[in-house]
Amino acid sequence: MGPTIEVRLDGWLRQFGPKPRESVEADSVDHLIDSLEERYPRLRFKLRDETGHLRRHVRVFIDGEDVSGTTAGSTPLSGAGVVDILHSIAGG
Amino acid sequence: MPERRSRIQILLGTRKGTFVVEGDTRRHSWRVGRRAHEGDEVYHVVADPRHPGSRYAAVNNGFWGPAVHRSQDGGRTWKEIATPLLPRTKARRNRTHPSAPVANLWHIEPGHPREPNVLFLGADPHLLFRSDDLGRSWESVDSINEHPARKDWAPGAGGACLHTILIDPRDPKRMYVGLSAVGTFRTENGGRSWTPTNKGVLAPFLPNKHPETGQCVHHVVPDAANPDTFYRQDHGGMYVSHDRMDRWIRIGRPLGDDFGFCVASPSAAPGRAYFVRLDGRDRTTGIGHFQVQEWNDERQKWRTLVHPNAFPGHYAVHREGMATDNREEPGIYVGTTTGHLFVSSDGGSSWRQVPFGFPGIHSVSVANPSTG
Repeated sequence: MGPTIEVRLDGWLRQFGPKPRESVEADSVDHLIDSLEERYPRLRFKLRDETGHLRRHVRVFIDGEDVSGTTAGSTPLSGAGVVDILHSIAGG
Repeated sequence: MPERRSRIQILLGTRKGTFVVEGDTRRHSWRVGRRAHEGDEVYHVVADPRHPGSRYAAVNNGFWGPAVHRSQDGGRTWKEIATPLLPRTKARRNRTHPSAPVANLWHIEPGHPREPNVLFLGADPHLLFRSDDLGRSWESVDSINEHPARKDWAPGAGGACLHTILIDPRDPKRMYVGLSAVGTFRTENGGRSWTPTNKGVLAPFLPNKHPETGQCVHHVVPDAANPDTFYRQDHGGMYVSHDRMDRWIRIGRPLGDDFGFCVASPSAAPGRAYFVRLDGRDRTTGIGHFQVQEWNDERQKWRTLVHPNAFPGHYAVHREGMATDNREEPGIYVGTTTGHLFVSSDGGSSWRQVPFGFPGIHSVSVANPSTG
C-alpha cells in the first residue's frame, strides 16, 4: 500500500464507472490505475493499452505536474496529494 | 423488443457514431434513428443474420481505445462487450510493430451458419481474432498474427488493417482474409495455415510489380451465385477471380484509372459487381459528380451508372462504404466521406440521396428484413 491519493477523473471517464473524485491508496501511477480498475472493471484498457502503457491521449498530472508518457506508470506517488487523470486536446 | 422484420435497415459506421436508417421494402423513404456511440469513430457496423436483431459495431475512441459493442434490439440500444486484445507477451514480441497494442478495429464478420456462436474480427496492426461465444471472449488467430512473413508486412495509408474476412458458405473451414499492403490469403483448414492468393494483382508501388504478397487490397466480395468467384478492388486496379482467388484477372483497364476502395455484389444479381471508381491521385470521383460502375461478368462489360447531373461534387468512398441488399430488384447503398448516403432501389437504374447530413461515413451494411 502507499499514501492515500485524491484522484480527480475526467468527466468522460464516468461512463466506465468512476466518480469524479476517488480516494486511492497507491505508491505509483500504475498501482493507482490498478486499484481503480479493480474498483471499476470497465476502466480496464481504457487508460492503458494491453502492453501496459498509458494510452497516447491520456494525461496524468501529479499535484499539477504532467507525468504523461509511456513511462508514466512507474512514477512514484510518495508525497503526492492529488492526481488528475484527463484526456488531452486532440481530435477534430 | 423483437425487430420489425418487415423493415430494411441501413447500418452506418461514421466518424462520429453509429446510425441506423430504416425504410420499408420499397426503399423510397427512410427514417434516421437516434445516433449511438456519439463522437466515436465507428469503422464497421454489421447485422448477424443468424441471430435476428443482433448487431455488432467496431468502435474506436481516440482517447480510450477500441471497443466492440453489441445490440440485441436491432440497433436501438448498445452495450460494450469484450474487446479483442493481444496478450501482453504477444503484443510485446510482435515483430513488425514491437510493443504494438491493438489499435483500431476494422471489421466484424459473423461466422458460418453452422457455427452460430462464432465471430471473427479484423484489427490493426494486421490482426485476426476469433470468438466462439458471440464476443464474450476472443482468441488471437496466431496463424495470421504470428505469420512467418509478418516481419515484411508494412501498413498502408489507412493503417495496418485486416479489413476483409470472407467465409465460404459451403464450408466454414475455407476462409479468406484481406490485409492492407499485404494482400489476400486463403485457408482450407479453418485457419491452421494460410496461402497467399494475389497472383495477377499488380503492385505498382513496389519494385517487383507482381510479388507473392505486398499488394494493397482494398476490399473483396464474393459473387452470390458462385462462391468460387470474387470481385476485388485493389490499389492496383479492379479484378475478378473465378477459382477461389488462385488467379486474378484485371477487369478495370477499360475504365482507364481503375483505382477505388469499395466493391459490392448483390445476392439477387449473380455476375454483377459494383465499384466506385476514384481518381488514383486525389482519391475522389474526380470527374465532378457521383458515379458507380457496374461490371457484368458474363458479358465482360462495364456500365456507368448515375446521371452526371444528378449529384455534382467530388466524392470519396471508403472500403466498407458500399453495400447491397437481398431484394429481387437489388438495392445499392453508397456512403461517402462527406456524409452523403446514396440509394438505388432498382439495381442502379435510378438513384436518390437520403436527405440527412451524416458525419463522414466509414461503413455501410444492410440488415435485410427476411434474415436479420
